[in-house]
Amino acid sequence: MIDFTAVEQGLALLFSSFAPWVVVVPGIVIGLIFGATPGLQISMAMAIFLPMTLYMDFVQAMLFLTAIFTGGSFGSGIPAILMNIPGTSSAIATAFDGYPMARQGKHNQALGVALLSSVIGVLMGYLILFVMIQPLSLMVLKLGPAEMFAVILWGMTLIASLKGDQVLKGLLAGFVGLLIGTIGFNELGMARGTMGQAYLLDGVPVIPAMMGMFAASELFKLANKGFIVESEASRKVKISEIFQGFKLALSYPWVMIRGGLIGVFVGAVPGVGSSVSNLLSYVETQRRDKDPSSFGKGNPKGVVASESANSTSEAGSMATLLALGIPGGGATAVMLAAFAMHNITGGPQFIRQQTDVVYAIIFANFAQVFLLMVIGLLFIPLLANIVKVPMRYLIPSVLVLAVMGSFGLTGNMTGPATVLVFAVVGWLLRHYGYSVPAAVIGMLLGAMAEKSLLHSYQISGGNLAYVLERPVTLIILALLLVSLFGQRLMSWIKRRQSPVGA
Amino acid sequence: MSTNKRDCGDLLVLMALAGFTLWYLLDAIRVSSAVQNLLLILPLSLVVLVIVLLEVALRLKQGTLLTRPEGEGEPLHRTLPVVGLFAAYVVSLETLGFDVATVLFIALFLVMKGERNWLLLGSYSLTFGFGVAFFFAQMLPYPMHMLVLQG
Repeated sequence: MIDFTAVEQGLALLFSSFAPWVVVVPGIVIGLIFGATPGLQISMAMAIFLPMTLYMDFVQAMLFLTAIFTGGSFGSGIPAILMNIPGTSSAIATAFDGYPMARQGKHNQALGVALLSSVIGVLMGYLILFVMIQPLSLMVLKLGPAEMFAVILWGMTLIASLKGDQVLKGLLAGFVGLLIGTIGFNELGMARGTMGQAYLLDGVPVIPAMMGMFAASELFKLANKGFIVESEASRKVKISEIFQGFKLALSYPWVMIRGGLIGVFVGAVPGVGSSVSNLLSYVETQRRDKDPSSFGKGNPKGVVASESANSTSEAGSMATLLALGIPGGGATAVMLAAFAMHNITGGPQFIRQQTDVVYAIIFANFAQVFLLMVIGLLFIPLLANIVKVPMRYLIPSVLVLAVMGSFGLTGNMTGPATVLVFAVVGWLLRHYGYSVPAAVIGMLLGAMAEKSLLHSYQISGGNLAYVLERPVTLIILALLLVSLFGQRLMSWIKRRQSPVGA
Repeated sequence: MSTNKRDCGDLLVLMALAGFTLWYLLDAIRVSSAVQNLLLILPLSLVVLVIVLLEVALRLKQGTLLTRPEGEGEPLHRTLPVVGLFAAYVVSLETLGFDVATVLFIALFLVMKGERNWLLLGSYSLTFGFGVAFFFAQMLPYPMHMLVLQG
């Protein structure tokens, strides 16, 4: 599985000169800033700095871009914890428990938990990639559209049923979200639900909608509060408490390992990636926990689950990029452009012929992990001061950042208008007890779900028996049913077995 | 023990979700009734409508269709002015420019939420408003409409 000659050559590529390392620290800092600024995406940072890689050799360019990726994957967790605004879709689940922790005055611990989980997640992901890159690439090839649709349906149903006491409202929000996600042109060129507006032809701009639903609607709710953390004593930024967060993260090794495994395998599925892996890991952790009702109220396990999964997803999506030449998401799509700029094509041939380069990228990421730890520790105290800002200053400032960021994403007024519309929608949904995360995830996955279903239909010729010939699809669908009804079924069986009146 | 307040908002939200779903389904059918077009939209819409009916039936059975548990979230009338100000900000971006609209939005928000230190209010809204508008104008590859600063 491991080519040791290539390992030696890879190490030589990295350590024969200092040049490849010069770009790593700036890359991590850029990633942290873009990830931590609501509205500025990691993929946007990579796209903006992509032209600079023209002046670098291939290894140096990849180190620079993966450093941005690594910094950004942790950076996006910072606003998720401090402001309930996931910097990117990969940190959605981080906000579920990170933000309640911050509101309880445990923002230092939450950031510490997130940083260490991210660091270990990246390390774990690239270790798995190092050992598994070749078998993983073969496995990914076996996943067809039917499996993709089953994964989406599974993730969607799990997320929608997160609010245990309001399952119907959760499912309703999630499914309406899926419908909104299909607005615009489908694969056959038919435009639905656009109301004749040209800017909806490509669909609802999902990230501005996400900003509106998550950030703006939450800020409306908090408009009459004094501070994010009400208690003055709890607003202090303490490095010692960040280290307590490290200890806290280490006390849940299985949550981290499970998150890592989910992250790397889901991250390897093209188009799914860290947006889904953080949620799947979170839901699985909640489902398996002795006290699932403590999630969403500041349980650190939720932060560990999300951050470990979204960080390992980076390695998973790199596996697909390197082994198949298929980008798993926006960030790896930019990397694919960097491949093209250096006349390199990813795929099985690239893995076979340039194994040393692949290993060099993997080893460089091991080193980046430690740099992220140091730089992250320097940055956290600066960014955590946000809890000291009164809400009357914080709310308009964050709303402005969301509006400007959304303009940056669309390049016209569609972005700010989308933020406004979905802020109001999110505020109403929140007010009446609907699951806002389910609605957002539905919107993110709607188009992908329709595409996967359409491809399955085309391949099968409309014959439903096709599903029965896909064992992986059947396993995923079985997992879906187990996730939904497993616990209820078990408790029903227990009740039946226990003697009457016991 | 929480008491229930009379509130038909929840029912209106349910109706709005059902209304959107129905409209979207009809629009999709109008565009094309081919299986490929309705493969996901038709079954999903039907599921949504069934869930709405189920929710209404359940709430009717519980007698909670027109009520909302007291103490859930801020009352709407306390949040509406903030929503209105934000809407005015977004709408005014094209006329006032990103710089001036942002400065005004922050200043008005601070006044609305009780800031009476006029020096702090003025300096923060000017510095942050112009600073952020300038930063984004420099970072983004698209022209941003500005009134005072260079877009």
